[in-house]
Amino acid sequence: MKRRRSAEKRFRVYGLISVLFGLLCLVVLFGDILSKGLAAFSQTVIRTEVVLDADYLGLNKNSSSDEIRAANFEGLLKNHFKEMVQPDGRKERRQLYSMISAGAAWQLIEAVQANPGLIGQAVTFDLIADDDVDQWLKHDRGVEGINTRMSEVQIAWMESWIEQGMLTTRFNTLFFTNGDSREPELAGIHGAIKGTFLTLLVTFLLSFPIGVAAAIYLEEFAPKNRITEIVEININNLAAVPSITFGLLGLAIFINIFGVSRSTPLVGGLVLTLMTLPTIIISGRAAIKAVPPSIREAAFGLGASKVQVVFHHVLPLALPGMLTGTIIGMAQALGETAPLLMIGMIAFVVDVPGFINDPSTVLPVQIFLWSDSPERAFTERTSGAIIVLLGFLVVMNTAAVMLRRRLERRW
Amino acid sequence: MEMNFNQHISGQFNADLEAIRNHMMGMGGLVERQVANAIEAICSGDTRLADEVIRREDEVDKLEVAIDHECTQILVRRQPAASDLRMVLAVSRVVRDLERIGDEASKVAFHALEVGDSANTQLCQQAMRYMGAEVVKMISGALDAFTRHDVEGAVEVVRTDKRVDQQYASALRELITYMMEDPRSIGQAINILWILRAIERIGDHARNISEQVIYLVKGTDVRHSSLTEIEEQAKD
Amino acid sequence: MSIIENHTTCGSPLVESPKLTARNVGVFYGEKQAIFDVSLDIGSNEVIALIGPSGCGKSTFLRCLNRMNDTIDICSVTGKIELDNEDIYDPKVDVVPLRARVGMVFQKPNPFPKSIYDNIAYGPRIHGLAHSRVDLDEIVEKSLQRAGLWNEVKDRLHAPGTGLSGGQQQRLCIARTIAVDPEVILMDEPCSALDPIATAKIEELIDELRENYTIAIVTHSMQQAARVSQRTAYFHMGQLIEVNPTDQVFTTPEHSLTEAYITGRFG
Repeated sequence: MKRRRSAEKRFRVYGLISVLFGLLCLVVLFGDILSKGLAAFSQTVIRTEVVLDADYLGLNKNSSSDEIRAANFEGLLKNHFKEMVQPDGRKERRQLYSMISAGAAWQLIEAVQANPGLIGQAVTFDLIADDDVDQWLKHDRGVEGINTRMSEVQIAWMESWIEQGMLTTRFNTLFFTNGDSREPELAGIHGAIKGTFLTLLVTFLLSFPIGVAAAIYLEEFAPKNRITEIVEININNLAAVPSITFGLLGLAIFINIFGVSRSTPLVGGLVLTLMTLPTIIISGRAAIKAVPPSIREAAFGLGASKVQVVFHHVLPLALPGMLTGTIIGMAQALGETAPLLMIGMIAFVVDVPGFINDPSTVLPVQIFLWSDSPERAFTERTSGAIIVLLGFLVVMNTAAVMLRRRLERRW
Repeated sequence: MEMNFNQHISGQFNADLEAIRNHMMGMGGLVERQVANAIEAICSGDTRLADEVIRREDEVDKLEVAIDHECTQILVRRQPAASDLRMVLAVSRVVRDLERIGDEASKVAFHALEVGDSANTQLCQQAMRYMGAEVVKMISGALDAFTRHDVEGAVEVVRTDKRVDQQYASALRELITYMMEDPRSIGQAINILWILRAIERIGDHARNISEQVIYLVKGTDVRHSSLTEIEEQAKD
Repeated sequence: MSIIENHTTCGSPLVESPKLTARNVGVFYGEKQAIFDVSLDIGSNEVIALIGPSGCGKSTFLRCLNRMNDTIDICSVTGKIELDNEDIYDPKVDVVPLRARVGMVFQKPNPFPKSIYDNIAYGPRIHGLAHSRVDLDEIVEKSLQRAGLWNEVKDRLHAPGTGLSGGQQQRLCIARTIAVDPEVILMDEPCSALDPIATAKIEELIDELRENYTIAIVTHSMQQAARVSQRTAYFHMGQLIEVNPTDQVFTTPEHSLTEAYITGRFG
């Protein structure tokens, strides 16, 4: 009796320990990602008043968009900063120029394109700083003995800018509106999100109808014999196949045989469909099985045909479960990287995809790409993108739970 | 699942049914002794015996109430069906008949005291002896048939009742002759008449008991049927 | 315990003017035979109770009567079952109208997870019995009235049927069955999930329904069989042992197996 009780107690303690361990891992993971990634949502800018010299730029108030784009805004900026800090020699000049992002000139271009009336005036801009400046301000400033990429003179300039209130951080909208870029301060996840959305759309549109139809057929109509048994076993096995295999399959079949263009959401969606189908079929069948046989009997007893029973009674009751399974399958697909690597979605794509046949990348692949980049600022962005991805997953899973709660009726 | 049809799934139910039957048999034994003693008292003029019969009448009444209560309990608790239902109903009816027999026996004993050992005790002495012996046999025969589910034995009791009825009729004629001969003895003769009448009633009740045996075994209700009808029923 | 060789049903399995007739019916689940050579008539406007120990085949037999066993792949039926002299297992017969003519009420109240109105209207809809909304309303009201539920639910016809109490749900199921205007109603232990008061209401209802319908009821409660039925059929190990008027079965059953069952000597 005493021994049994102590054994029970011991077991409870073991259980508690494993739960705590799991929680700890989660906390460490989230802590790490958040501490690294939150910085990605802010960006260092240099606030300065630039005179948009009409003569230097060769523009007037009636210049066309193309003329504005061709104008030398970069030179204007370089001159502006050269006059501001008076660098000594070519080396310092180069160092100065490297502190401003290549995107800064584009900021000016866009502003002028939007309002050509600005030409000839002095306008205050929040110019994007280079990622090294960004990293120095966020992490290295005031830290003793740190190995920073900034030279002494650069640090001196920055300190003086800070004193003048020129060097500040603001919310990083570019992160959400830009596509990928070689320059970390300009790189964003817009392209990846759109790609993800399009890919999942393709996946959903294909896998939900196919999965539900397959589940209904297997559960309600298929004769119970050897062949259906083999099909069932294979579907279950399919769910356990390593996902990269699906990538290979996609590469071999969709791209090589059917000639679907590579690295598009279409082919990505096709491959992910293969991956999510087993999940949807299995959860769909479970949902159908959970419909009480008494409901079926009642409908049969009233003289409903098989198809009527399935579509009037079984399907409406099973749908919440099926939807939940689908959303969970989609969430899985959302986080999938490996198969997409095989079909070329790892390509560096700057443009935001417009439709399912445009080359694009997806969030997890974007994360993978960035995590491989040497720049420090990309590490930050990697974590930032992970936060966004996790956010999507949480939203989807919550949606699944809520959907089930709302649609599920007691019978 | 076991194919033992003699045993209920509920052992308590078995025990309950067994109990009412045994109690009924016990009551039957008592009543049988009451009748025998009453007859003996009248024939031998033993007033002490007659007193005892009257005294024990109370016991019989109490037994009737007790057994009837047990029957009600079984009906309420077990909702018996088929043979069990018939058993309970039969016991309930038999118990009532036994109680009536008890009443009649005490009536006989009462009149035995009235008659006392007066000169006319000899009147119809033989008929009383004979009928008395017959009805005692009938009671024990009916009860035996009940325990053994013996339809033939029950029919035999019905046949005996017929003989007792004939005996009663002839004793009645004898009494009437006697009263016509000697009107002074009418009072005494009426006492004797009551006694004979009581014994004849005891026979009828014994017959009722044996009819319940047929109900118990065959499920057919043969009350108020003629002997030939009963024999007919008993056959198939 | 094994089946009895060469058993012929005791009592009176056949009647003068039968509604449903079963002749030499056998039912097989794959290799296993569940019903052996059952011949039984069900008369018009009578309530027949099918009783017997668990697994004796009474439910299986009941389900043969409107071909509910069709939904089980491995189940096959031999012999002949006729409804108004028409073989219901004829390959030409469509089960859909058959099941409308021979309705079924199940053990567990199983209303659809829809409104009370839709529960009743479902049958008429799929059989095309109502030509207009007004027709349908009328059918729903009439069915609920016949099932004695109208007064309890008339103010909440669009509330979910599953929100009713167990007894009300079962009466809803009966109303749903009545709505397609059947001739025969099969009931498979309709009260086994209900409390005594709800049971009494259903029994009362069965008694009223007898005027218009022929009813076969499977029950585990012998008291219930005694209360509601005119004839009682006793099944044992897939055989029909005895069929007799109910009062006879419960006082003087013919067959010793019937006797043993109803007196509780095995079960």
